[in-house]
Amino acid sequence: MADPNPQAASSTNSHPNDRVKLNVGGKLFETTVSTLRSGGPDSLLSALSHRPSGDPNPVFIDRDPEIFSVLLSLLRSNRLPSTSRRFSKQELADEALYYGIESRLKSASSPPPLSGIDVSVVATIRPASDGFASAFTAGDGDGSVWIAHGGQISSYDWNLIHTGTVRTHLEEINSICRVYSEIAALGSDSAAGLHFYDFSGNRNVGSVHWRDPSDPRIFKARVSAIADSTDSVFAAFHCPHKENSVLVVDKSTLQIQSELGRYTGGSAKNLVPGKLAWLPETGLLVGSSITCGAFGFSGYIRLWDPRSGQVVWETNEPGSGRSRRFGDPFADVAVDAEESMIFKVCSQSGDLGMADLRNLGDDPWVYLEENNPSLSITGGVGKYCAIHCYRRQVFVGRDGSLEVWSRGANGRSESEKENGVCEGLYRRNFVDKLEDSERGIIEKIEGGGDRLFVCRRGSEGIEVWESSNSSTVVSVL
Amino acid sequence: MPPFGGSVPPSYGSNNSNSSESNIVTVDVGGQLFQTTKQTLALAGPDSLFARVSDPPPPPLSSSVPFVDRDPELFSVLLSLLRTGNLPSKARAFDIQDLIFESRFYGVESLLINSVSNPSQFEAFNLERSEILPMNGRDSPSAIATTPFGSVHVAHGSKITSFDWSLRKKRTILTQFAAVDSMLAISPSVVAAGATDFSGLQILDLERGSVKETLNWENVTRSSSTVQAIGSNQEALFVSFESGRRNSNSIMVYDLHSLRPVTEIGHSEIYGAEINSAIPATKLNWLSGNSLLMASGSHSGPSGVLGNIKFWDVRSGNVVWELKENVDCFSDVTVSDNLSSMFKVGVNSGEVFFADLRNLGAENPWVCLGDGRRALNGKKEGVGCKIESHGSQVFCSKGGDIELWSEVAMGSVKNSEDGLEERVFRKNLMGKVKDVGGAKITNLAFGGNKMFVTRKDQQSVEVWQGSTRGF
Repeated sequence: MADPNPQAASSTNSHPNDRVKLNVGGKLFETTVSTLRSGGPDSLLSALSHRPSGDPNPVFIDRDPEIFSVLLSLLRSNRLPSTSRRFSKQELADEALYYGIESRLKSASSPPPLSGIDVSVVATIRPASDGFASAFTAGDGDGSVWIAHGGQISSYDWNLIHTGTVRTHLEEINSICRVYSEIAALGSDSAAGLHFYDFSGNRNVGSVHWRDPSDPRIFKARVSAIADSTDSVFAAFHCPHKENSVLVVDKSTLQIQSELGRYTGGSAKNLVPGKLAWLPETGLLVGSSITCGAFGFSGYIRLWDPRSGQVVWETNEPGSGRSRRFGDPFADVAVDAEESMIFKVCSQSGDLGMADLRNLGDDPWVYLEENNPSLSITGGVGKYCAIHCYRRQVFVGRDGSLEVWSRGANGRSESEKENGVCEGLYRRNFVDKLEDSERGIIEKIEGGGDRLFVCRRGSEGIEVWESSNSSTVVSVL
Repeated sequence: MPPFGGSVPPSYGSNNSNSSESNIVTVDVGGQLFQTTKQTLALAGPDSLFARVSDPPPPPLSSSVPFVDRDPELFSVLLSLLRTGNLPSKARAFDIQDLIFESRFYGVESLLINSVSNPSQFEAFNLERSEILPMNGRDSPSAIATTPFGSVHVAHGSKITSFDWSLRKKRTILTQFAAVDSMLAISPSVVAAGATDFSGLQILDLERGSVKETLNWENVTRSSSTVQAIGSNQEALFVSFESGRRNSNSIMVYDLHSLRPVTEIGHSEIYGAEINSAIPATKLNWLSGNSLLMASGSHSGPSGVLGNIKFWDVRSGNVVWELKENVDCFSDVTVSDNLSSMFKVGVNSGEVFFADLRNLGAENPWVCLGDGRRALNGKKEGVGCKIESHGSQVFCSKGGDIELWSEVAMGSVKNSEDGLEERVFRKNLMGKVKDVGGAKITNLAFGGNKMFVTRKDQQSVEVWQGSTRGF
């Protein structure tokens, strides 16, 4: 056989444009060194490209040629061809892992930036047993999710493929936080303590209990909310007689570092926080508690500085008459860490309130109202609201319906932001269709990896919403 | 090509180039050898990758065949497209998205568009309801705009979703409107949009989701200027504005490219009880055969629906011809260049009328194409009916059904009283039995070889296209 390129054969340093022949499972492929190396320096294909290019015999790889042709197309054009639909996500992921080009597959198959005005349900993750999710977290940000259901935690990777389940000693898990890539911090309403479970070892790696020998009221403290920063875990503990506190736990030693305040829990203003959020930019912890009674909603938002242990800012609702919206307390609160904003949804009017964390005061709220009469919000006591901020959008679940408040890209947004006027920029749209809202009351919304995960009361599994650049054409012929 | 294409001696290509001035070009794509002629590759245009391949490399490198590191099977489809101008049937093994992406790599996307979504492939009698494009969210489409090669922009609620010509890719942007009432595509990524409850016409960049420009009409009362209708021809953009206080209206003419105002026609202010001047134009159609702009508007009052149809000479700013409608006013009206006629649906009768544009001087130019007596029964059968012309046909929606009106060419010409030959129009109900009787149709639009239909309370767009041309 003639040598195609005698000059290159003599030199060991192969040129990026040199051609490489591969024999995969009996089928011949020809490509270039640069294409093979585009999978990353540590990949198998990249290693193959370092062979002297003058070798007339193709490299033999004993794998399926059809999948290889899909992956070669991916390397060449950076998109998955339609022939990839012949294979399952699992097959493609396994094969990409074999060739060491998983990152390319991940970037080509991950969804486009989440745009709440154009998303649809792409999947519902249903755990095999005890399918009602009691808590979940999309904390890793790559589109993976950990679901707590019936005392188990199931992990689903970026492809939404089930990768493992850990059975915990807890009967029910009510709060979960992914503190390391393989370790979850768990809290339960029915059992005391904060518990750490390791997915790789499938075991409990530690537990933290709130005890105080000097105070007999501190016993059997349960965890109602968990958040984490790079080196600490924050957990809101509460005792059977409502004494509560937020404990700071060191992430590496799993020892209690400090206690952020201690409250008696005697009134709505000092109950245990039901939500905790960490603000990495300012190093503050936000806690909020909301209760709904016969006279409507009441609760507080509190900002701690964990370094000093002091409360930096606090607001109670229904508050004093100073508030512009007296009698319209919040039904849920969410923090946008990227934008340094707090959003609340008002229980009576249904309006959205927002406050800039850099500019908090007595009444920092700016209210966003629906101006379109045909879309007017019906609020009121008894409406269940869930709110979540993700990718500069605010998602609100009202009973079963899901809506998004988003900003259009208008040239003037920057100047208005400086003036502090941004009311008109947010526009409300329904994310779902009417029939979607009948699947049950939305309990929790969380975003991660350009996916939106929605959990509904009385409905098995977790909905996954994604944006897509491709239209879902339905043939009706 | 056998799977062992790579084992063909590489001297194969050089043999050919050596054999005098051969036209044959050999190219190796992903390990498979293809042979074609320079003429075929030249069809791809000078900027494409094909053209670069066909140029022989300088002598020291010409020993080997040019190599392209792409998928050989997709290449063979695109090569067939170059050779014949049509996609081979084996292209159906791929998704159109694969072909689009690959054709962009080689720089031949325009050839692909021409073969798949060409306006000349529009076959009115062969249209079938073939696809549904669903919209996310709860808003049903309020306006749609199309481009000649079949991309479509759909305004629903405060959003605009645009689909590319293959209808397989989409993009949604948020606008400042609560709902868009009129929209016109200026290019596949730029639309002009306006609303009857929002001041100004916005030129929106759909790729970036931003407002490129806002065009306002300075009215006397200095109130807002709402948009009632948008139209265009090759050079100009026509916008019908009404003042926010609804006491004046005007048609502004802008340059389509620079968006600078060119002239203003049909400015009217209301003084007294003259109702006709208070009616803004709600439809603007350009009639290229006569270089006239048709502007029509109607008003529903206690004495029934009143309307007027005006034909403007844009250059002089004069009304060439005006028709006042009071007996069976139009519910919608359209003009057809190919038929040189104007068509309307009567709001009372619900029947289609036509008027020969050569006969506009007549007192009542309308010829009813159905039962004209129904106009007198006082029912409003035609409310909400839409009528649009495309090519040599007229499409009229009645409720959830679409009538297709076409002219029958008659061998023996019978002259009627006014000296013009009598013209024969016949209708057909479009679609199969299962397509009949859907929800009320709100928009009809045409682009590429397709017709687009939106219906009341349906969060989707229906696509009608010829069965033989579907990918």
